[in-house]
Amino acid sequence: MAATESLVLNDVTKIFQQRGGAGVVKAVDRVSLTIRKGEFVTLLGPSGCGKTTTLRLIAGFEMPSSGRIVLDGTDITYQPPNKRDMAMVFQSYALFPHMNVFDNVAYGLRIRKLSRSDIQTRVENALALVGLSGLGNRKPNQLSGGQQQRVALARALVMEPQVLLFDEPLSNLDAKLRVQMRGEIHALQRRLNITSVYVTHDQVEAMALSDRIVVMNAGRIEQIGTPDEIYRRPNTRFVADFIGRANFIDTTVVQAQGERVTVELFGTRVELQSNGRSVKPGERQTAVVRPEGLKLRADPTLEQVLIEQAMYLGSEIEYIVRAGDQRLVVVDSDPRTSQIFPEGETVGLDIIGEAVHLLPPEETSARA
Amino acid sequence: MAVLPQQVIKPARRVIRDPILAITLVVIVLFVGVSIILPIFAMVRESLSEQGLSLFSRYLSETSYQTIISNTVILGLAVATLGTLIGFLFAYVQVKVRVPFKRFMHILALVPIISPPFALASALIILFGRNGMILRGIFGTRCLWGSGRTCNDIYGLDGLTIVLALSLFTVAYLNLKGMLEALDPALDEAATNLGGSKWHIFRTVTVPMLVPGIASSFLLLFVEAIADLGNPLVLGGNYEVLATRIYISVIGMYDTTAAAVLSVVLLVPSLTVFIVQRYWISRATVVSVTGKPSGTPQQITHPLVCLPLFVLVMAVCLLIILLYATIFVGAFTNVLGVDNTFTLKNFDFVINGYGSEAMVDTTTLSALATPLAGIIGMIIAFLVVRKSFAGRAALDFAAMLGIAVPGTILGIGYLLMFNNDIQIMLPGIGPVTLIPKLTGGRAIFAGAAAIVLVYVVRSVPAALRSGVALLTQIDPAIEEASTSLGANSEQTFRHITLPLIRPAFLSGLIFAFARSMTTISAIVFLTTPQTRIMTAQILNEVENGRFGNAFAYCVILILIVLLTIGILYAAVGSTSGADRGLEGGA
Ligand SMILES: Nc1ncnc2c1ncn2[C@@H]1O[C@H](COP(=O)(O)OP(=O)(O)OP(=O)(O)O)[C@@H](O)[C@H]1O
Ligand SMILES: [Mg+2]
Repeated sequence: MAATESLVLNDVTKIFQQRGGAGVVKAVDRVSLTIRKGEFVTLLGPSGCGKTTTLRLIAGFEMPSSGRIVLDGTDITYQPPNKRDMAMVFQSYALFPHMNVFDNVAYGLRIRKLSRSDIQTRVENALALVGLSGLGNRKPNQLSGGQQQRVALARALVMEPQVLLFDEPLSNLDAKLRVQMRGEIHALQRRLNITSVYVTHDQVEAMALSDRIVVMNAGRIEQIGTPDEIYRRPNTRFVADFIGRANFIDTTVVQAQGERVTVELFGTRVELQSNGRSVKPGERQTAVVRPEGLKLRADPTLEQVLIEQAMYLGSEIEYIVRAGDQRLVVVDSDPRTSQIFPEGETVGLDIIGEAVHLLPPEETSARA
Repeated sequence: MAVLPQQVIKPARRVIRDPILAITLVVIVLFVGVSIILPIFAMVRESLSEQGLSLFSRYLSETSYQTIISNTVILGLAVATLGTLIGFLFAYVQVKVRVPFKRFMHILALVPIISPPFALASALIILFGRNGMILRGIFGTRCLWGSGRTCNDIYGLDGLTIVLALSLFTVAYLNLKGMLEALDPALDEAATNLGGSKWHIFRTVTVPMLVPGIASSFLLLFVEAIADLGNPLVLGGNYEVLATRIYISVIGMYDTTAAAVLSVVLLVPSLTVFIVQRYWISRATVVSVTGKPSGTPQQITHPLVCLPLFVLVMAVCLLIILLYATIFVGAFTNVLGVDNTFTLKNFDFVINGYGSEAMVDTTTLSALATPLAGIIGMIIAFLVVRKSFAGRAALDFAAMLGIAVPGTILGIGYLLMFNNDIQIMLPGIGPVTLIPKLTGGRAIFAGAAAIVLVYVVRSVPAALRSGVALLTQIDPAIEEASTSLGANSEQTFRHITLPLIRPAFLSGLIFAFARSMTTISAIVFLTTPQTRIMTAQILNEVENGRFGNAFAYCVILILIVLLTIGILYAAVGSTSGADRGLEGGA
């Protein structure tokens, strides 16, 4: 294990003293995280949850109030940022406006006092990598937003750092470009295999790019997992709510046999995996059901629900239905093959067992 | 994964993480402490001596001193009012009114920046004095109004107010012009759409928005006016102010205690007004000018508004031209107004004769002080804007004291603080000199070190403010990007920050040179027979009525300043030396 782990955050806390000594903010609260070599890890969470602060702690722009940061077995907690073998891509790109593209990319190499010919080749390679060959003489203000973003990327890549850091690098681009750049970053990272830490509040971006996602809330880590784990088996109500859309349904355990659990949802018995948690019959639990885990059918034997709203979105139809005293979101992702139901109609609700996930008990009782 | 001990980080780690920054900070704090704080401290300490305290009660109770104090305040108020008015007039016409010759008006508004002290006052005396070319020569009178015992001549409050307002209004002009340009034109448009007339808009929208700017200009001019020494000295007549009284106490009576006491009396209003301006008014200014201007600014075209404003501005312009023309013509004339024959003897005196040494000394010392002031100003700006450390606001404030404290007071402080070696006794080694004697006879470098120090101290605040203004507009991520790419604090400052704030650096340099060349109040006590300064020489010539020589000095001084500005523009303004410097260093 030790050979593959690259970056370790051990119980890192960052407390900011507010200006004027008015109070303190715990921006990062006892965060522990182990990132493997070549892994792409995303810090995801709502605004103000401490993503940027965590990234800046890793970069060395901030010093933790307590805790340790270890890179490749070396404690770098106190190492100044310019001594860390990392490069950062900033949200605002932060290109040097008084230098042309070539000089921007060459800057770090010149600081390292590489030879002129080395610099020439490495900068040209980096520019080719991001598809900017031939634009070396342009000034940053003569480039489009997407091109500026590529320069920022090349400037970081050319350093061949152990760790690449990204702070919402795509948030200043328009939607189309964002998707395109996302793909390019993904491809580049896989090709060069550089350990990367990426900050975003866009869950789709996080899902698309990451090997693992770290969901943060109020300075703490809520859950760490692969995109699939995070989506299908959220640990907390917060994660379930933040990633994608979720229906929370109170339920009673009917039967529990090892991994197999049967619960009752709206009168329907659903069988699902307990995922290693011990569950006893008769217990109240909160189940998370993704909208695509619910199906509407004109079947009178199923629980009947009232369609309050139906929105046709092209690739899918989104329904808001009322089941008892609960509102549920249902997404039908293939409207071609299924029936389209109008608003005001009453239809049957079918629940797909694999799409139901039980929240841990503390989540059920404490936060429900 | 190894379990690492939980540990709380001590603040000292911060310093060790960035030693260059720590050393810079120590050097800067030492500089500010020695060159600004110590002299002021010495001056205040002297005033609080037993003798000083008895002088305090005497000065505050005697009517002659009460008159001097009220004279000072009245002069300050009068200059601040007139100067702000002229500044506003120029700014408003420049931005909001459609008139011809705008460029000309703008340049003339900037000209007074390089006015040597006494130049305008002397020109005014030549033209409107009791034997003035215009007053006596054209109107055949010696008085502006009245006659005999009621005769009111140009000397005194009226002449002083005019000269000081003309010398200082540039500050108000630039300040208000910036604000007017930044005012959102959409605001005007909105008001017009609501059916307001131009006059109504001016009264209810423009003026209220400008109130902070007007107040700030007024206070700045007040501080500058009550600090001025040169003009009251030659144009004051019987109108005595604190600055001249302090000067006479030192030069005429060698009474530094009295000077220190009077300095404290002058320091109180100066500092109070400065603090109000800086921490209260200018804060309001920032708030009201943040919106990005949108739409096109509307200009007033109505002839009934344009014409009178145009005439007023042109009248001030012509007065400025008249005064400067008098200086230039006077420099080439035997005795202007009496013997108007052409001569080069004035220049001969300055360039080849007695004055040449002063010319060389002044230029050399100013040239030494200029880059120092520019760099120190930028470094302090960088520290104040970008770094967080205890005492950041205090450092900013202390650096600003260099200009907030009247020059005369600073000069006295230097006399009191640095007239002897500053030594400490070390056991076993004996006395060790920390700072050698800087002022008076046998001073180190014949007093030149003290003069350079004063030049720097007086020029840093302007550089600091323009640096701060520019730096706050630059995304800190740009510097962090440099750090992240491996550059240390010094490399980042040199390759990234300094090039980005080059406009502020350039204006800081220009200001520093112009200010150093033209300052009198701060160095008048620091010149020595071996180190002559042009402004002090000009004073000497004016006091002896040799206006021709004084004007020749002024002309040469102006030429040196203009030439240097040109050189600075060429050297700092155009090249992108930063990236090249980096390449060369790699
Ligand atoms: N320098 C600072 N001084 C004081 N408080 C700070 C500082 N930097 C961040 N904070 C506070 O710490 C908390 C976390 O901030 P952070 O910038 O890490 O959030 P974020 O998750 O990146 O949010 P966003 O998505 O909006 O960028 C916030 O409450 C913020 O106000
Ligand atoms: Mg952020």
